[in-house]
Amino acid sequence: MKPIAAKIPTRRSFSDRLVEYGAQEKDFVVLEADVGHSTYTYLFGEKYPDRYFNLGIAEMGMFSTAAGIASGGRTVVASSYGVFITMRALEAIRSFICYPDLNVKILSSHGGLTAAIDGATHQATEDIANMSTLPNMKVLVPADTAAAAAALEIAMTTPGPVFTRLMRDPLFDIYDKGEKFVIGGSKTVRNGKDVTIACYGDMVFQALEAAEILLQEGIDAEIIDMYSIKPYDQKAILESTVRTGALVVVENHQKKNGLGYELAHLLLSNRKYVPFTSLGIADSFGESGDYYKLLNKFGLSSGHIAEAVRQLKV
Amino acid sequence: MDKDTITLLQSKAREIRSHVLKMVYKAQSGHIGGSFSEADIIATLYYHILKLNPQKPKWDGRDRFVLSKGHACPALYAVLAMKGYYGLEELDTLRQYGSLLQGHPVIKTPGIDMTSGSLGVGFASAVGIALDEKIAKRDDYQVYTILGDGELNEGIVWEAAQTANKYRLNNLVAIVDRNKIQNDGRSDDIMPVEPIDKKFEAFGWKTLKIDGHNMEEIVSALETARNYQEGPVCIIAYTIKGKGVSFMEDDYYWHGKAPNQEQFEQAMKELQGGAA
Ligand SMILES: Cc1ncc(C[n+]2csc(CCOP(=O)(O)OP(=O)(O)O)c2C)c(N)n1
Repeated sequence: MKPIAAKIPTRRSFSDRLVEYGAQEKDFVVLEADVGHSTYTYLFGEKYPDRYFNLGIAEMGMFSTAAGIASGGRTVVASSYGVFITMRALEAIRSFICYPDLNVKILSSHGGLTAAIDGATHQATEDIANMSTLPNMKVLVPADTAAAAAALEIAMTTPGPVFTRLMRDPLFDIYDKGEKFVIGGSKTVRNGKDVTIACYGDMVFQALEAAEILLQEGIDAEIIDMYSIKPYDQKAILESTVRTGALVVVENHQKKNGLGYELAHLLLSNRKYVPFTSLGIADSFGESGDYYKLLNKFGLSSGHIAEAVRQLKV
Repeated sequence: MDKDTITLLQSKAREIRSHVLKMVYKAQSGHIGGSFSEADIIATLYYHILKLNPQKPKWDGRDRFVLSKGHACPALYAVLAMKGYYGLEELDTLRQYGSLLQGHPVIKTPGIDMTSGSLGVGFASAVGIALDEKIAKRDDYQVYTILGDGELNEGIVWEAAQTANKYRLNNLVAIVDRNKIQNDGRSDDIMPVEPIDKKFEAFGWKTLKIDGHNMEEIVSALETARNYQEGPVCIIAYTIKGKGVSFMEDDYYWHGKAPNQEQFEQAMKELQGGAA
């Protein structure tokens, strides 16, 4: 597995697979809130105009409408940007999609700081916390093109609501086309013996780079891609952490109530008292700027990950 | 109407469009279409209507302005620089790391009265700013806001319109930039919004309809709205998205795309060629 520059962003890969899936499953419909040219759901609309409904710039209404359609048993894919989905439409998703456990599959673009240049109003940095908290909701974060296509598949075949966080810009491909992913699974993308790094989405690539830096210093890091955030692979985390004796969690998200908090809780509840730290956005808002400059500023670059590991190992 | 005023406003609008083009080209990101459609209105607001003091951006007696369609901030950033809120060189930093000029407006930028960019919210905030003037029992400034026609899809717009009516906010003027295009295509296809005037009237607003690229009409409507005492006013400005550059006009492709070098040069030529 050698990461290579991705040709398309994960939002595109998810939507491409959605179009293919449309031929296979003929009953589901897609709802969009006027960002279809950005999420690429317009491709589905071109192929299946009768199954594509652009409800305009009206996210709260769209998710409530999705709930109504899904209440009769029809699966709905609903698409927009993470900030609007997970905040403006939050109550509709919680009380009228998750509570009745309806088949609404959420395509959520512009996750984390990857909406870099748009600035804080467009950067979904609390989406994982908001969605993971909801009973019945499942949460996926594919790291690359192959994983995003697989996420669509998982969403469509897993009963109930599923949220998939996608990225705005093309980053890096890690997996081969056709790689298998399952709900509640994880991927150990690098085997190591000194420390476990758990991460998801765009942070998987940063962690892989950090591992290269650390290798020079004789530190052998294990990296686990937690592409399924809820449910998640508790066994993999416990097994790996006990073996390496340390855990670092890295996420392009608020530290508070993110995967780091969850995994700290997991370790403590299982009486695994190992050195632990987590990297994420430290209780602040994002801003406009080049993606890599933002990673640097918010302490999420490979260099920051390597430094966190060093600190943990002293 | 004073001919010199109109000529001045037209040249300011042209200047705004040129800045917008340069900014978005340099950043290779940003929204040209909606900035061009609102440029004549922005020029009129900042050079003829708004009571301001660029040396004291937070001067308490200023008129307030909220760009509810916050993505179209390049035009606003340009006019604020032209008015001296910050240097023109700031315009080169649009959307870049550390810039004063974020992808969407934030309150910390001099001259920006309210954070916006999530559609619908800016309008409701403008209602709040106008309501606050009533709460303070003041009557010395006006609140202006520009919305997109696509933005009218958001339910929050109509919630806020109700509030403005309930409290008879005669200090509030909303301008709808009716360019008939939103992100995914033509408004009439994505979500029909007409009749906009009858909707606002049903919500208790006075409405005016104008050609949003005709300076005489813009000036006259904004003056009428400022003087209207009975309640909130909505000006529906019929505009052309991408106005000023032939190949950008009325094409949703130019909602949020940046021009390449060839397109940039061609567009600049057209803008400087004099078409207002
Ligand atoms: C709540 C919300 N949903 C979606 C978007 C993404 N978005 C940015 S601009 C735009 C289209 C806006 O159309 P319109 O209001 O007509 O503005 P204009 O055509 O004048 O640019 C959309 C959907 C957003 N900024 N906010």
